[in-house]
Amino acid sequence: MRVSAHAGKDPAPAATGTARGGGIARTQGAHRAGRAVVVSLQIGVFVLFVGIWQALAAAGVLDPFFFSRPSAIALKLWGWMASGYIWPHLGVTLLEALLAFLIGTVCGVIAGFALARVALLAAVFDPYIRTFNALPRVILAPIFILWFGLGIASKVALGVTLVFFIVFFNTFQGIREVDPVIRNNVKMLQANDWQMVRHVYLPSAMAWIFSSLHTSIGFALVGAVVGEYIGSARGIGYVVAEAEGVFDTAGVFAGLILTSVVVLLIDLGIDRLERYLLRWRPGVE
Amino acid sequence: MNREASAPFAVALENVAVRFATAAGGVHGVLRDISLVVPEGVFLAIVGPSGCGKSTLLNVAAGLLQPPEGSVRIFGEPLTGTNRYAAYLFQQDALLPWRTVLGNVMLGLSLRGIPRREAVAEARQWIERVGLGGFEDRFPHQLSGGMRKRTAVAQSWIVDPRILLMDEPFSALDVQTRQNMENELLDLWQGSRKTVLFITHDLEEAIALADEVVVITAGPNATVKGRYAVGLARPRDVAEIRLDPEFNALYRQIWDDLRVEVKRSRNDVPS
Repeated sequence: MRVSAHAGKDPAPAATGTARGGGIARTQGAHRAGRAVVVSLQIGVFVLFVGIWQALAAAGVLDPFFFSRPSAIALKLWGWMASGYIWPHLGVTLLEALLAFLIGTVCGVIAGFALARVALLAAVFDPYIRTFNALPRVILAPIFILWFGLGIASKVALGVTLVFFIVFFNTFQGIREVDPVIRNNVKMLQANDWQMVRHVYLPSAMAWIFSSLHTSIGFALVGAVVGEYIGSARGIGYVVAEAEGVFDTAGVFAGLILTSVVVLLIDLGIDRLERYLLRWRPGVE
Repeated sequence: MNREASAPFAVALENVAVRFATAAGGVHGVLRDISLVVPEGVFLAIVGPSGCGKSTLLNVAAGLLQPPEGSVRIFGEPLTGTNRYAAYLFQQDALLPWRTVLGNVMLGLSLRGIPRREAVAEARQWIERVGLGGFEDRFPHQLSGGMRKRTAVAQSWIVDPRILLMDEPFSALDVQTRQNMENELLDLWQGSRKTVLFITHDLEEAIALADEVVVITAGPNATVKGRYAVGLARPRDVAEIRLDPEFNALYRQIWDDLRVEVKRSRNDVPS
């Protein structure tokens, strides 16, 4: 089977992490100083960008009708949060993303396992999997809305189609890439078929799946927001679509920014989780 | 007839041949006509030029490879599936990278359904025995090559196998570590009545460790060329035994046999 894991990072090559604990003091000091510079520059970029935007909008160069202005967006966000209007929408979106992530991961692991272990299945399903993976998932949204209604089910379904393939490819690759020496070693220790799965194939696939967490969780959220945008009565995507409908540009930007911040926070959380779960890998500590 | 003579051999290979189909559609013969018997409790070293199929031979004895020709008997029983009497120490790193030293060492016991508490206790003893006390919670990548090898030794010995299959296990280690490991191996083996098949391309290592040395011819279609008894007294120290005149006499004798094969294998390698 020619299915390749284009999604997710290759977990095999190590030594990508920064050397913490092992390095000499001077290197660490230099590293910290470098980090402070980077963070202040990052903040500088933000302030500059927002400042220019605000100034241009105030000067009338940017039409606030189309581009809004940072102060208006901030007010909008504040209003949403203070009134409590945004929380149920955010909750719905996160719930959809979580469900899509869980269902997509379970299905992807099972399918990846089956195809990696049974050559015939892989050969038969290869063209179908490639076709589905190449399909822009957004065009499935209307169909899912017809099938599953305007509630959360259609958004979860959309997210699942995105998450599934990432997890599937990574599981497939993870199982295919099991070191034959490790496989023989555990076989010689008299593992039965199920024990081989539990002690060799699953952990190996897990390494690949964990390293694609950023992508798959991000996609789960994309599925939820896009689904809501296309048709729903709740969620961040709905909020954005609503604002757009009344030409409330500040509302559209506020929804965008909220989504970005949520993704960023989840990403930071995954960083920590990944560091813990993959602590057995060189360079991850 | 005494009992000893009628006892089945630990490992008995008869007319074993192994071939692989090549990509070009031809057949590549790796081993042919291998007949080899190993009595229980014997430390047998198998030497041969690099790439002659020594590892393949070991895989046949392990049951990881079913030979298309010939028979394999383990303690008199025909071998089907993997050899359940044997532990295998691989040349490459074979530890599970996602398990700690403790997790790796106790794996064989867990797979046999031994309760966790018992398995942990026994694993700790073995970790202590191979000199890794205090490193139980390290992951393989946090260990040196020698420490990983020690872990692998504990991992394969903890299940108390009757046969030990070792495929150039110490070839990747530096000389110092290697000699230490060889001595420790002899200490562990001494008086255990375990049968050892030890593959190496290093004749010195073979003589220093083994009771008997078998020379394999250069591939393709490698086969057994000669078999020599090593009468050196035990216990041995692998570093000191190399100075023994008897060691040198043996070395010269076996090397005469091996040299031809090594030369042949070099000529076969396209440069």
